[in-house]
Amino acid sequence: MKSAMLAIIKKDFRGVTTNKNLFTALLVVPLVLTIILPSVFVLLIHFAPDDPDIQKLVDLLPQEAQGESFELTVVRLILNFILPAFFLMIPIMTASIMAASSFVGEKERHTLETLLYCPLTVKQIFRSKVLASFLLSMMVSFISFCAMLLVLELEIFFLMGSLLLPGANWLVVLLLVSPAVSLIAITLIVRRSAKAQSVEESQQSAVFLIIPIILLVAGQFTGILLLNIWILLGIGVICAFLAWLLLKNCMGRFTYEMLLK
Amino acid sequence: MNAVALENLSKTYTGGKQAVKQIRLTLEQGEVFGFLGPNGAGKTTTVKLLNGMLAPSEGSCRVLGVNPADEPEKVHAVSGVLTEHAQMYDNLTGMQNLLFYAAVFGIPAGEGKERAKDLLRQLGLEEAKDRKLSAYSTGMRQRLSLARALIHRPQVLFLDEPTSGLDPESAQNVNQLIRELATKEGVTIFLCTHQLRYAQEICTRYGLIEEGRLLAAGTLEQLQGKIPSGTTLQIRAAHMPKGLPLRCIGKNQYETTIQCGEEIPRLVRQIVEGGGDIYYVSERKPSLEDIYFALTAKKKEAAR
Repeated sequence: MKSAMLAIIKKDFRGVTTNKNLFTALLVVPLVLTIILPSVFVLLIHFAPDDPDIQKLVDLLPQEAQGESFELTVVRLILNFILPAFFLMIPIMTASIMAASSFVGEKERHTLETLLYCPLTVKQIFRSKVLASFLLSMMVSFISFCAMLLVLELEIFFLMGSLLLPGANWLVVLLLVSPAVSLIAITLIVRRSAKAQSVEESQQSAVFLIIPIILLVAGQFTGILLLNIWILLGIGVICAFLAWLLLKNCMGRFTYEMLLK
Repeated sequence: MNAVALENLSKTYTGGKQAVKQIRLTLEQGEVFGFLGPNGAGKTTTVKLLNGMLAPSEGSCRVLGVNPADEPEKVHAVSGVLTEHAQMYDNLTGMQNLLFYAAVFGIPAGEGKERAKDLLRQLGLEEAKDRKLSAYSTGMRQRLSLARALIHRPQVLFLDEPTSGLDPESAQNVNQLIRELATKEGVTIFLCTHQLRYAQEICTRYGLIEEGRLLAAGTLEQLQGKIPSGTTLQIRAAHMPKGLPLRCIGKNQYETTIQCGEEIPRLVRQIVEGGGDIYYVSERKPSLEDIYFALTAKKKEAAR
């Protein structure tokens, strides 16, 4: 990678970490989705009185999905089937914050023209910007996952006296679905950023990506769809293909004139 | 090879506005070229065309032999640009901004730091180097932008109103720096301004533009030759003899237009021989302002 591209990536990272508003926005969503929400689930399961309906639901599950105790079985279900769907919101939110601020933000602050006067092609500048947003998004996702696991394991250990290993679902989510979804969000914002005049305007294009995830979460809760590893793999492959298509298309079309409008 | 060459360069924006109309111009290496005209005349558009930010509608241009429409990044590697809309990052300090651009231009970290320190010192920003850009005044920002444009030692420098927002002392420093860049380092300077007096102080050659069209180009002497009213001679004298071709413009003050320097001793002799007492004689050649107004007036007359 050219050192120039690396310099842009570093500068974009610094732009997010030194901006209090952006940094807070970057922390809040993962904090809610990976610390607060899972903790609420665990505490509810532990302290709520046994519900015969849930017991019936657990009985419907295949034998291998049923753990040694009722509590642990429900927590395992939540960890491996509900939380991955929630988790997918993190790369979208992170990517939208970073990508929108780094593309349209440059336009708003009148720094885009200066950057375009550098000896890099439009493609290289965009590649650096996409990479910066993607790396940050992945970093936040991995840190969030580690934090979630740490907090959950501690809570489970102290409340239920055991540890719970995350399923293979998480591997697919972390290594395939999450990066692909993140790239889709970034490229959509990038495409929009050429015409958008404000950060908010460009973020709107990524917001609709949240809708399928909300449907996924609803599907998981209501039992319409059980996100097993194969379904996740399928979603991941489709998303990765879509991300590749979008990325390829959005990079070739930009010109200086279009960007500076 | 010419440093900059414009060949029938035209630009019409999508709305239909023709900002630049068939400009033909060449710049030699090491010259300070003043591209002069009022706001909206097409100066900034021309700079953007020369840097590949805009694609020409007709014609072409080259910077050090490279066509910016085809390989803008190659032009950017050898040119520095200072325009009102090319700003820097408020969340970074002056030094951090320069280091960032040094890295983007592929300058090794150590060399970039030395170069940035040097430029900050030359432009009087040494004390403010660790202050965030958000705390900089307009003049400081302008000087830092100039440092940014110079960080990679460009061979061609495009300056759009470089002294706007500067106090007289800073403006003088900037002018000194521009002159040195041209004379000592052979940097070609394409300076856009609407301040004709300022341009006359610093430029070696000029191009006058109005409504996207180049009215005239050349050195001051060449431009002076393009307008019919030549040099003005001002005389303060008592007992002025009658019958001489002089206009009275005040008490004992007279003025006339001459075509060449040889007319001066002849006129002075006539006044003295006619009994006049001369206190003062001054020859005033047309300034850039005079030339510009004469040329635009000529164009308007022709349009009628």
